Amino acid sequence: MTQPPTETAVALRAAGLGRRFGDRWAVRDIDLEVQRGEVLGLLGPNGAGKTTTVRLLTALIEPTEGTAAVDGFDVRTQPDDVRARVGILTETPGLYDKLSARTNLDFFGRLYGLDAETRAQRIEHHLRLFGLWERRDEVTGTFSKGMKQKLAIARALLHDPSVVFLDEPTAALDPEAAFIVRESIETLRKAGRTIVLATHNLDEADRLCDRIAFVRAGLVRVDSPAALRGALGKRSLAIRLASSPSPDAIAALRQLDGIGVVEAVDGVLRVSATDPESIAPAVVRSLVAAGGDIVEVRIDRTSLEQIYFDVMGVRPGADGIEAPP
Amino acid sequence: MRAAIVWTILRREWMETLRNRLLLSTILVPPVLLTVAPIILAGAVGDRALPADLARQILTQKPEWASFSPSELAGAFAVQQFLVFFLLMPAYIPLSIATFSIIGEKQARSLEPVLAAPIRTVELLAGKAIAALVPGVLAGWVTYVAFVLLASVVYGRALFGVVTDGSWLAGVFLLGPAVGLSSVVAGVIVSARVNDPRVAQQIGGVVIVPVVGLVLVQATGTLLVGPLGYVLMSLVVLAVSLVGLRIGVRLFDREAILTRWR
Repeated sequence: MTQPPTETAVALRAAGLGRRFGDRWAVRDIDLEVQRGEVLGLLGPNGAGKTTTVRLLTALIEPTEGTAAVDGFDVRTQPDDVRARVGILTETPGLYDKLSARTNLDFFGRLYGLDAETRAQRIEHHLRLFGLWERRDEVTGTFSKGMKQKLAIARALLHDPSVVFLDEPTAALDPEAAFIVRESIETLRKAGRTIVLATHNLDEADRLCDRIAFVRAGLVRVDSPAALRGALGKRSLAIRLASSPSPDAIAALRQLDGIGVVEAVDGVLRVSATDPESIAPAVVRSLVAAGGDIVEVRIDRTSLEQIYFDVMGVRPGADGIEAPP
Repeated sequence: MRAAIVWTILRREWMETLRNRLLLSTILVPPVLLTVAPIILAGAVGDRALPADLARQILTQKPEWASFSPSELAGAFAVQQFLVFFLLMPAYIPLSIATFSIIGEKQARSLEPVLAAPIRTVELLAGKAIAALVPGVLAGWVTYVAFVLLASVVYGRALFGVVTDGSWLAGVFLLGPAVGLSSVVAGVIVSARVNDPRVAQQIGGVVIVPVVGLVLVQATGTLLVGPLGYVLMSLVVLAVSLVGLRIGVRLFDREAILTRWR
């Protein structure tokens, strides 16, 4: 195995990375840097190229164009070195159902060249970390989906990789199992692991990721959830009234400085503004003066879901997601 | 190719095989039957002699049997048929193991994590192939040794010499492993295309057809293959297997498994 290049703050780097299957580009022009200890989310719909991107970055498949490197090792020219430095949770756990949890991990420890003592220590550490130690000698065919997923994550961490790739870790799991897996990822995040999380679960990405890369046959946009909200988010003041506001009250609101669109929907008056906090007192005063009975005032942030639709150029239609006209 | 990685693959394959009762029964039951069946047949033949025409036809091909009594000649001819059955074991056992192993991994989608490790696909294929080949070849050999020991007791010296002559030794120890290799290759190629081990075994079972043909030719007494014939057949089967292995290696490519195996 090749000696590692000088360690830098960048764990993963891709430049102009692309992969074509036949005539179709699955992904193209991926430029990306992931810092050590960062959690990057790859967010996109099914078929957007997330799994292909993960496979390219883990040296499972060769790029058609461009380059990528993990810890400075090139995926094209040093694939064995890359594979030794990444851990991957594939879309399905892919465990050997007739073998025990411990034997499954031991097999992978051997594949990664860990000696017997290190294998034993790490297997115990990770099985305890994920609450599976008590069931270490049971065959994994008897495990629940959540337990299998946790064991698969343990398998991805066994050789202490520089970057952990989690491909749809909660897909096809029931809410309880998904919660358990998300908690496991949160544990890794707190431990400072560098993680690339491919998902189409917006809440998961919002909660777990430092930055989010929107994927659709390439990277559409990469930014932190906060920056995405700052750049793309629209904020508003939502005021619930005891009764519908009068046209005069709405007209009075529109005269105030810093106010955008004012609309009443289902008894809630929604006032868009660039800085809702600063205009809130004036809006409340104006409504009270116009005879409005205020029940609740709150500041609404744009959800990641709305930002996702904006960035990906889709909008929810009556029959699901539609492309914009 | 790193021996430690191949051994790791092979070890896991065998651990899974030992836990697969269906597969284990297909490996263990037939050898027992094939050891016992010739003994039963010997009893059934008893003191009966062969038809005169058939006896003459056999003696032209096996002049070394000329000193046999009519009943010994009948016994020798009957026992000779069983050599090909010892070729069936290295044919179907590796086929069963290889197809269960590869299709099992396809269904469980357990190959991707393995391929994500720093392992070369040739190491993976070698581990799987050896894990499938060795039990079949060993089953053939062990059953043969048990059969020879029983034959020495049941058939007497004349027939003991028949089952330990050059034809048997070349058949069991050369053609058997060659047929086993062709069976593994067939298992790899077919398993890459289908998703049901039973279907794969039926299609891959085509490698057994020449062996069955050999059974028929021998049973009619038209051709009793000698040692040189078995050596030549071993070389032909080995050559065909190596060509098939090249196709198998291409099908076992990392990208092919990940993107085309469904």
